Amino acid sequence: MDFLFDYISVNTFWTILFIVHALLAVALLGALTHQAAAVLTPPRTEDTGGFVRRFRSVSAPSYTAVVCLLWVLAFIFGGWIYAKYRIYVRIPIEQEGFYKTLGAFELKEHLSSIGLGLLPFYWYLWKNVGNTTYASARKWLTLVLAAICWYSFLSGHIVNNVRGFGL
Amino acid sequence: MKTTTDTTTPSLSSWGAFTLVFGICFAVLYVVCDMAALPLFTYHPGTDRIDLGYAPARPDEGPAMYWYGWLASASLGSAILSGLAALLPDKIRGKIPLALAWVVPVVLLPVLIYSLKFYWRWE
Repeated sequence: MDFLFDYISVNTFWTILFIVHALLAVALLGALTHQAAAVLTPPRTEDTGGFVRRFRSVSAPSYTAVVCLLWVLAFIFGGWIYAKYRIYVRIPIEQEGFYKTLGAFELKEHLSSIGLGLLPFYWYLWKNVGNTTYASARKWLTLVLAAICWYSFLSGHIVNNVRGFGL
Repeated sequence: MKTTTDTTTPSLSSWGAFTLVFGICFAVLYVVCDMAALPLFTYHPGTDRIDLGYAPARPDEGPAMYWYGWLASASLGSAILSGLAALLPDKIRGKIPLALAWVVPVVLLPVLIYSLKFYWRWE
């Protein structure tokens, strides 16, 4: 990896990794929100056109694989930059006394990890989408994952607003 | 996506039981490892040092990180338990409530918030 630093600075390298992490998170947020909307309020046949109807009229099962892939990739990139965050972001924020911001971010770390562990069963439930006995678990697990994703996205955004990488 | 035929049988395949129990156990074990300080290893990002198990931060070497170790502990423990669950007879596997997959994380949320009580202060 050191050869990269002949072309870009160390700070640029970590900034690129962070931006990739953030872009993956945006894509994941969009996919999960579409899927959650589709299972929470399926479109009614009498509905006419409109943004809301189109937003929830997606083929929910088709999002499953990409949600799993994006969650894993965002998690890997997040875990990669987390070591730098621990030294160059968290310590300055501690010194400024923004403890609630740090606590919110710690909660994100926990929830996104728990979400990662739930992905195999989430994938299983959606793979067997024809099994009606799985419908309730599939719906609520999808909503829980969407809630975790939204929380993670917002808390990460707040930490970035507070400190970023301090470059 | 490949789908199965519609059915009302509340059964889980071995793989289904594995994934369900893995998700439940991972969440529970992760919280236990966090609260009881049980990482499989400790990473010191300032020096790239890795210690087995829990190790406090060393003087002049920056902070210690336990999150990677919690993930490893929870993954290992839940893989073992879910592997055992997959071996259960079909009749018993079918009795595992599917709702636990989303109820457990919701129940653990206040526990996690409590575990972070150090941060919830007004100064």
